[in-house]
Amino acid sequence: MKLNKLLFFILISLLVISYSGCSGGGGGGGSTSTPTVTLASIAVTPANPGIAWGGTQQFTATGTYSDSTTQDITTSVTWSSSNTDVATISNTSGSNGLATSFTAGATDVSASLGSVVSPSTTLTVNSSNINNVITVTVNGGIGIPNVNVPNWPYVSVMVCTPGTTNCITIPYILLDTGSYGLRIFRSFLATVPLTQVTSGSGSLTECIQYVGGSADWGPVQTADVILGNETAANVPIQVIDSTFGQPTLCSQTNQYILDTSPSEAGYNGILGVGPFTQDCGSGDGCGWYYSCNGSSCTPATTVSLNNQVSNPVSFLSTDNNGVILRFPIIPLGGVLSVNGDLVLGIDTQSNNSSSGVTMYPADPIYGYITTIFNGNTYSDSCYIDSGSNGLFFPAKDAPTLPTCGDWFCPSSTQKFSATIEGYTGSPSNSVSFQIGDADTLLSQSTSNEVFIELGGPYPSAFDWGFPFFLGRSVYVGIEGKTSSLGTGPYWAY
Amino acid sequence: MKTRKRSSLLICLGLAFAFLLVQQAYATLGESVDSIATNKKTLSAVRSFTRTSSKYSIHEFQSETITIREYVSPSGIVFGIAWNGLTYPDLTPLLGSYASEHQKAASHIKRQPGRRYIKIKSDNVVVEKWGHMRNLQGRAYAPALIPQGVSTDEIK
Repeated sequence: MKLNKLLFFILISLLVISYSGCSGGGGGGGSTSTPTVTLASIAVTPANPGIAWGGTQQFTATGTYSDSTTQDITTSVTWSSSNTDVATISNTSGSNGLATSFTAGATDVSASLGSVVSPSTTLTVNSSNINNVITVTVNGGIGIPNVNVPNWPYVSVMVCTPGTTNCITIPYILLDTGSYGLRIFRSFLATVPLTQVTSGSGSLTECIQYVGGSADWGPVQTADVILGNETAANVPIQVIDSTFGQPTLCSQTNQYILDTSPSEAGYNGILGVGPFTQDCGSGDGCGWYYSCNGSSCTPATTVSLNNQVSNPVSFLSTDNNGVILRFPIIPLGGVLSVNGDLVLGIDTQSNNSSSGVTMYPADPIYGYITTIFNGNTYSDSCYIDSGSNGLFFPAKDAPTLPTCGDWFCPSSTQKFSATIEGYTGSPSNSVSFQIGDADTLLSQSTSNEVFIELGGPYPSAFDWGFPFFLGRSVYVGIEGKTSSLGTGPYWAY
Repeated sequence: MKTRKRSSLLICLGLAFAFLLVQQAYATLGESVDSIATNKKTLSAVRSFTRTSSKYSIHEFQSETITIREYVSPSGIVFGIAWNGLTYPDLTPLLGSYASEHQKAASHIKRQPGRRYIKIKSDNVVVEKWGHMRNLQGRAYAPALIPQGVSTDEIK
């Protein structure tokens, strides 16, 4: 009874308080007629947008007048950005309201006209692409004429005449953890002369043959290579040029077809960011290098490591111990395109910490790790390779998977599990993956270019291609360089 | 002095040419194993050894940049060749009489960007290549010559 009385008292008190609250808000309502229409408020759209670093955002200002009419006043207002380090916003005729980003962070954007000021809206510039982060695009290579390669990741790379600001940005460079060093078609370098590397009295030249029957031939020249906002100075790169010197040495009597254009190759260049510094890494040049005088070339049997085509990452001042490739997970059936990040350095900055990942030591010459699948152990040619566009493994280990030419084509998507080990035998952990019907996925009726369930047969080896990277952060540790994960070469995820 | 230099250069070229010829002789698909024994002495510059199983023998040759293994049937015929190394071997001498049909088939192959594997089949010979930078691998075999009970996966 006592409790009931107390509750009753509280209830009455609340009713009294709320009543007095309501009655206290009186007033207003009177109609004040004005002889002329005036600007009552300004709204800025879009509200709270986010953009990638380096990107722009167009804002619109809409004025609401005293007679309730609205009007686009983007070009009449004065735009302001609260943090011009993050982004500036233009008041210049022709670009009014266009915000340009300079660094990651947030800035409040508002518009004013006379004494009327809009509420601010927050523009967020994402950390992607800042300093040590480069956007990776997987879109089938639509920017290169007549190219359609699913599951190939591309980045843009800036190349400069050494020691100068004479630079060019080249898009559609294949991001390849299966090779080492930068290779670029000569056609992009017409305005950016590089420095030829000598070999004896001749020009150092290289021939790289690929499994698919193609080969890249051309001179070795040094360039300043800019990745993100970081410079790798005086890096030997290969300039792909099938007209230079004596290219028939590389085609080996037409056994290999020399890449003559990006349309043929599927890329404007290759950025090899695998776990080694030089492509060959042996002082004899691996049989890949030549010394050319005019159109006469002879094998170069001694090529100093300093002159060999090199992974530009290892030339960076601080973020030189490796890279991280980060991609989102995608649904089965594929998507049109995906963006990921190439992050420079491991444990060198706040955005490239390796905490929580497992490191797998790699073979010191080939970079291999070990995969155990269906009871068979593959320690040879087992690689985590962003330049392979599927998961490739021996068909005999997956008898439920029918093949259709170069691919697996099961009628329904199947799940599998394998074990990845460091080349030393530890650590050892299982990885699950799926294989779908490549015939359907790659059919002309779909325009999807990124697939997590794409795979095909491979002899006596396991090649963890691009689908492995989807939904993961994969760390590539460069030989001889250390992070808190250990000393490279290693893979970690 | 000038003349002498030139002659030594010629000798070097001559030796290199002889070496190439030897290379051509030691591993020709479909031919007799006899050439291996005949040329073994000249091949001393290259490390080589032989392993024998109940089904075939393997003759392995190593140079600076490549290792080549040839698989010889009990009747003494080379039925398969496998290689791995920093470079791909010149297949023309390795394939011998099969080289022309292989080259013809290879010229019709559509390039497959993104793949580290290619298989080229012609009437009488199959050539497969795979691998990565620093370790390029492959094999060639004549299906008709493979002894009973031997799987192509054993040629590696």
